[in-house]
Amino acid sequence: MSNDQATSTADVPASAFDDLTQSASSRVMTCARAQREALEWEMTHDKSVFMLGEDVYGMGGVFGTADGLGAKFGKERILDTPISETGFIGMAAGAAIAGMRPVIELAYVDFIGVCYNAIVNYAAKTRYMSGGQLNVPMVLLTGTGGGYNNAAQHSQCLHATLAHMPGVKVVCPTNAYDAKGMMHQAIRDDDFVVYLMHKGAAGVGWMGPTVKTTLAEVPQNDYTVPFGKVKVYREGTDVTIVGVGLSVHHALEAAEELAKEGISAEVVDLRSLVPLDRDGIMESVSKTGRLIVADEDYMSYGVSGEVIASVVERDPTVLKAPPSRVCVPDVPIPYSRALENYVLPLTGRIADAARSFF
Amino acid sequence: MSANNSTRIEMYRVIVRSRHFDDRLTEQYWVDKTPIFAFGKGPLPGELHTSHGQEPVAAGLCSVLSADDFLVAAHRPHHMAIARGVDLDKMAAELFGKKAGLSGGRGGHMHVYDASVNFSSSGIIAEGMGPAAGMALARRMQGKPGIAVSVIGDAAANQGAFHEVLNLVGIYKLPMITVIEDNKWGVTTHKSASTAIERNSDRAAAYGLVGEYVAGNDADLIREACQRAVDRARNGEGGTVLEIETARLRGHFMGDPASYITGDRKDFQVDPIPLYRAKLIAEGVMSEEQAAAIEAEEKARVDKAIQFGLDAPYPAPEEALEHVFKSA
Amino acid sequence: MATVDIQVPLELWDDAEKTGSIVIWLYKDGAKVTEGEVIAEMLFEKATFELVAPATGTLHIAVEPEVPVALGDSIGTITT
Repeated sequence: MSNDQATSTADVPASAFDDLTQSASSRVMTCARAQREALEWEMTHDKSVFMLGEDVYGMGGVFGTADGLGAKFGKERILDTPISETGFIGMAAGAAIAGMRPVIELAYVDFIGVCYNAIVNYAAKTRYMSGGQLNVPMVLLTGTGGGYNNAAQHSQCLHATLAHMPGVKVVCPTNAYDAKGMMHQAIRDDDFVVYLMHKGAAGVGWMGPTVKTTLAEVPQNDYTVPFGKVKVYREGTDVTIVGVGLSVHHALEAAEELAKEGISAEVVDLRSLVPLDRDGIMESVSKTGRLIVADEDYMSYGVSGEVIASVVERDPTVLKAPPSRVCVPDVPIPYSRALENYVLPLTGRIADAARSFF
Repeated sequence: MSANNSTRIEMYRVIVRSRHFDDRLTEQYWVDKTPIFAFGKGPLPGELHTSHGQEPVAAGLCSVLSADDFLVAAHRPHHMAIARGVDLDKMAAELFGKKAGLSGGRGGHMHVYDASVNFSSSGIIAEGMGPAAGMALARRMQGKPGIAVSVIGDAAANQGAFHEVLNLVGIYKLPMITVIEDNKWGVTTHKSASTAIERNSDRAAAYGLVGEYVAGNDADLIREACQRAVDRARNGEGGTVLEIETARLRGHFMGDPASYITGDRKDFQVDPIPLYRAKLIAEGVMSEEQAAAIEAEEKARVDKAIQFGLDAPYPAPEEALEHVFKSA
Repeated sequence: MATVDIQVPLELWDDAEKTGSIVIWLYKDGAKVTEGEVIAEMLFEKATFELVAPATGTLHIAVEPEVPVALGDSIGTITT
């Protein structure tokens, strides 16, 4: 069932998602710690890799991605930056052009407002504008998502805003196995990669109980998970639920409920927005004929529309019913719990969308 | 320490080359754009920000840089590119949108890149400062020689990135020099109306950096100040903010008649080339005949490059899709 | 064979009155663990901490995630 391709010299088990039961002596991790393991390995083996961001040396970053790495690699390779996003992201891009491999932490994706130019006009476009003379092999790590009552400017996903811009690869793993493999891939990639991690999927404790389906067995050795391939978390025959980030896990919960009602749902994780696996999406929807897209970004002009277009452009006749979008309904994320829970694409809304087909 | 004769003659040569290049571009720019102007018409479409009057800054600066150094210019890059040694044929071809251009026609006049001489230019105001700081950081991390220079206009000193990046240069002690070409104009806004203080070089102190102002638009004085800044950077003394008085002889870009420049502000628009020419001859550095020979040689060289650019074929339309990513 | 206690380290947070919790156990009950490797993650207020195995042997989990624990509490054992 797994369509991962792990590449490594050691024997690597297939993705831990084939069987949610952990084997006797294997180790599970959270996404955040899996990211860190990959980062630590890359920094150990490649002197050109360094990290920068706010509170990364002193505190290990918002998600603990650099926990302990400051002590191990020192201030020259784990740089605490001032609150100067435009400055340090531009700086990282220049360092990348000059042969380094910077990994930047931009704590929350909402902050791209203060460094949008450095990302979309400079880093994303330099390779193209130079006709291939220059590359920008940098990784921008950033946290997405709401569900913790922190309101409109600290809860966004902005999947579409980033994926929309040519010149940047965008990935969004949502289990620990993918998190580590895609981190290795992102750092080794010679192109500019934005690596999104939903706060609720990172496994940081302060977002509440760990979402069990984000945990996975993670091999000790290094391995890569390629970009541009969906992951089918759960096979089904009646409806396809395509999800991004934490929405994948809400979809899995919905699928469990629906199974008891006799509805077999297939849950597909995009995990890579650019490049986007349109073939993978098509394969699932051709099988089930019904499509729900669960995306915590704003509904209009986004990933949900892109997924639907991917199907309809190729062959609308595979659809037995109009597709359904379960997204944030074009409003800023509200603060009050009842309001926030209303707008987020949580389990109940996804399950209801599936029920409405039958 | 003043430069020797051959260096000063070389600076004159570069200045003349740059001016002639800009003059030829200006002439090509207007092809098909009259009687009715539109940016999209002619062999040289788009906006064109020429460097008329600012050539001494490029000549002085580039005469003290070495091959390992990075130079990041701004939206008015021709003189900097030429002084840095960017391939003239490929640059002309790029400006004409040809396949043989530096970027195969993808960049155009504001986005001039020549990796072989570590030169790039950037179209968003002050956007190149961060990257220049990063290039300086990379050289230090790699243990390699090399510093970085970011060239901006005086109006760019009011952009957020200016302040953020200078602070980064300060705290990380980066070998990155900021050269501010003070031509007194941000499009149609005079410096006195946009900038709360008279000299941006005075802002350097706010970031723990050395600031220096160079008046006169004279290549020799500019070179000496740049040498001081470069020495400071190479000796680990950090970045300098070097503000250099110069003159934007034309409008902001081609098509801007600059009718807003009046009165004594107009008197300020003095062409530095005849002055430098006369100075070198008066000091016995070169003769009238040598000057004329240099001018003829550079004219021929530039004309050849322009012709190369005009004759070169356009890229195939589908080539527009190439070079977004290195790998799929 | 000996039994080694796994305790919440006394220096993990400052206030003896306050409680934290386990975020996850990296290994299942009954798994073989090695001294010094990370076996659990704990949360106190906004900070997370990694707990390492005090010995090599078989892990026995006594306290599950989301249950409040205080400094010094035993959360499991390792039989060597």
